[in-house]
Amino acid sequence: MRWPVWLAAALLMGMHLGAQAQTGRLEALSGMCADGGDPASALTSVVGHGSTGNVDERAWANRIVASIKGRAFICATPTAARIADGEHQLDAITLAEMQDRISAPPFVPSMVVMRKLVIAGAELDLSSKDVDGRRRAAEQIDKFYTLLDQQIIERLFDRESDQQVKSTLSLALAKRGLDSNVKADRLRSIEIIGKVPGQASRTLLLNVLADTTLDPALASAARTAIVSIDNWLLAGKICSILFSGLSYAGILLLTALGLSIVFGLMGVINLAHGEFIMIGAYATYVVEQLMQTHAPAIFGAYIFVAIPVAFVVCAAFGMVLEYCVIRFLYRRPLETLLATWAVSIAIIKLVQLTFGSQNVEFITPGFLNGGMQLFAGFFVTYNRIFAILLAAAIFAATLLVVRYTSFGLLIRATTQRRDTARCLGVPTERIDRLAFGMGAGLAGLAGVVLTQIASVNPSMGTSFVVDAFMVVVLGGAGSLIGTALSSLAIGELNQIIEPFYGSVAAKVAVLLLIVLIIQRRPQGLFASKTRS
Amino acid sequence: MLTAKIKNYRGGPGLFWLLLALAVYLPVAIFMLGESNPLHLSLYGANLIGQIMCFALLALALDFVWGLAGILSLGHGIFFGIGGYAMGFYLLNGAYAETKLLPDFMQYMGWREFPLFLQSFARLDSAIILGIGGAALVACVFGFVTFRSRINGVYFSIITQALTYALMLLLFINDLGLGGNNGLTGFTSLAGFRLADTRTQVGLASASCVALAFAFLGLNAVAKSSFGQALVGVRDDEARLRFLGYRTDRIKLFAWTLSAAVAALAGMLYVPQVGIINPGIVSPMLSVEIAVWVAIGGRGTLIGAILGAVLINTMKFWLSSLVPSVWPFILAGVTLLITVALSNGLWGGLKQLLRRTRA
Repeated sequence: MRWPVWLAAALLMGMHLGAQAQTGRLEALSGMCADGGDPASALTSVVGHGSTGNVDERAWANRIVASIKGRAFICATPTAARIADGEHQLDAITLAEMQDRISAPPFVPSMVVMRKLVIAGAELDLSSKDVDGRRRAAEQIDKFYTLLDQQIIERLFDRESDQQVKSTLSLALAKRGLDSNVKADRLRSIEIIGKVPGQASRTLLLNVLADTTLDPALASAARTAIVSIDNWLLAGKICSILFSGLSYAGILLLTALGLSIVFGLMGVINLAHGEFIMIGAYATYVVEQLMQTHAPAIFGAYIFVAIPVAFVVCAAFGMVLEYCVIRFLYRRPLETLLATWAVSIAIIKLVQLTFGSQNVEFITPGFLNGGMQLFAGFFVTYNRIFAILLAAAIFAATLLVVRYTSFGLLIRATTQRRDTARCLGVPTERIDRLAFGMGAGLAGLAGVVLTQIASVNPSMGTSFVVDAFMVVVLGGAGSLIGTALSSLAIGELNQIIEPFYGSVAAKVAVLLLIVLIIQRRPQGLFASKTRS
Repeated sequence: MLTAKIKNYRGGPGLFWLLLALAVYLPVAIFMLGESNPLHLSLYGANLIGQIMCFALLALALDFVWGLAGILSLGHGIFFGIGGYAMGFYLLNGAYAETKLLPDFMQYMGWREFPLFLQSFARLDSAIILGIGGAALVACVFGFVTFRSRINGVYFSIITQALTYALMLLLFINDLGLGGNNGLTGFTSLAGFRLADTRTQVGLASASCVALAFAFLGLNAVAKSSFGQALVGVRDDEARLRFLGYRTDRIKLFAWTLSAAVAALAGMLYVPQVGIINPGIVSPMLSVEIAVWVAIGGRGTLIGAILGAVLINTMKFWLSSLVPSVWPFILAGVTLLITVALSNGLWGGLKQLLRRTRA
């Protein structure tokens, strides 16, 4: 006599389904199949039931929403429903498998229910543990804000911990509130929307203002909000320009840093500098390919592996070049120009023959993908931040080496007073070689960063070499600080001009400006005064 | 006989007559000598010779400032390009007058008729004045400010390279109405002569030889004059010359402007022979290549520049079609060898060699 009771209890336990939950499910679903019931509000209450925080209830609500979407929801009787699951049918409340099958047509959602379905899934996803999922859901809700259920969203909003989701939801609620009949609600909505700057908010507020019968208090609130949005948008634009200028400056600094040692300190007009950048980029490519096949687990770190690899490869290449060619030409700087030009065309052809002349594609490591919105209209991408940070770090390291290490001291001694240095026992030839190698290695590092920003092909170097020379000349040959400051100035100036006249015109204007400045200050902006 | 001549050569009219003879030989070889004659020349060959003469003229212009005055310009592509574009605009005017069809890039700009500022190139004489005069004016203005602020040596080279790069970028802009990245093409006739006609092409090639001959004669005369001596003085010790009371900036400015005009002339002769001009002609790398021709031939001698340009361009036309993937290595190897081991170039090396064998 007693075992059926035990069985029932075990069944209930097994399904983790308390009596209370079951009642809730029943209530939520009650209007769905009843004659004269309201399926749309029933769907809302299903979502509401699913978003109370209980994982099982959310799964259940998801299942119901999915089944209605998938035309698997069957109204058996006005009070009982089933879900078709392949061959079987499940009870819509307990999700338990039924022994029998009912051959009734599936529930056909009306237009209203269809619209409600669009947002129901997103509303349910808002209770998920996954922050990214919640953010996506919030954006979905914001997109279809006219359909959201205010009570559910408000409840979820209170429970939400992520700031981004919260702000998206409050915006969605505010948009919904704009259509409210209560003046206080509309006023609050306008204020909230005004605090979320963006083109979309601006359009919404303009739509509000377009209503000629608008309450003057609301109208003035809307106008204030628009002004505030415009200010934010302007600030965002300015910040964007400054940021892209900074990132451009970072790239310029990276490409010019090696040259500022090779040309600025050593006086070698290295036209193959761009090719060292290109070799650095291709070294990164090889590292990427190798890690993809041999170490896929840590593939994303290839960019960090490539940094020392590219430096060493380019430095070795540079030292070979110095040993074979450059060292014969130290007293004839203009001829280093011709010799390095020859080396550059040979390198370009060599890389073309090895890797082909088309662009090579890089898989961006995950952490460099995308970016973040700091505020409206100001979006920063991670690869640019990476370039800026790396440029700053490499610059700092180079400065430290040149200024504070004995190697740096020897480089400066050799380049400033070669003969005196030699008399004092400095191995000037070895120092020359190492310094040239260091310059080439720095160019290689620029190549590593550029793989994430520019297109990589055998002739990529030629587009950087002229810019790099201009940076060094403007900064004043021999001054590393000058190189950094001039790349900052050129980068910012370029990006300030660009929005008005286009990138090419900006580049031309900056080049001409530099030429003009050099006419006034032939030694560069930051060169120390010398008598030579 | 010849070795003695080379050894003692100080720039005489020998090359002048040789170039004039070449100018006469071209039409003779094409129209009078039969296919069986070993001296017969195809139209393609004559066209190549014409182009090479233009490059030699360009190299001559560069050697005049680099070899004599010590100003290494990496911007001679600018002047070559100005001349070339002036000629291109003139030819476009002619083509439009014939076909009444606007060039593609003008249609792209949405223009209904030939724009006014390009109509100023409609006559050949005005195009020549605008091309050569324009290049000279640009050189004069740039040279005036640059030489006055005493920018020289490496810095001058780098600045001219930057200007070349800037001009190339400008010409690449399609919205500027200067042809954009496709450049200018679709030419039909030059001063009433059909460009497709063999006689016109041979005539142009001969004209290039003649132009080179006279430019060589003229620049050689300047080089041997007292002004030429002053130029060499500027090259060797500008400060000393300045202290002696010479206005070295004016000396350099004159040489620089003259050189730019000659380079523009080369560009004007070049464009109708190849039938197209695009921004690639002012690429910084190409401008370095001009210096390489001069360095390989031997700078400071004028004749060496011509020798280098002819040699390298002949090899280029021949080898870059025969072994396209090896040619850059050959060029690089030759350049490295000359710069490291033979700093006076081939001509200087030849003279040195002959002098040594006699001694």
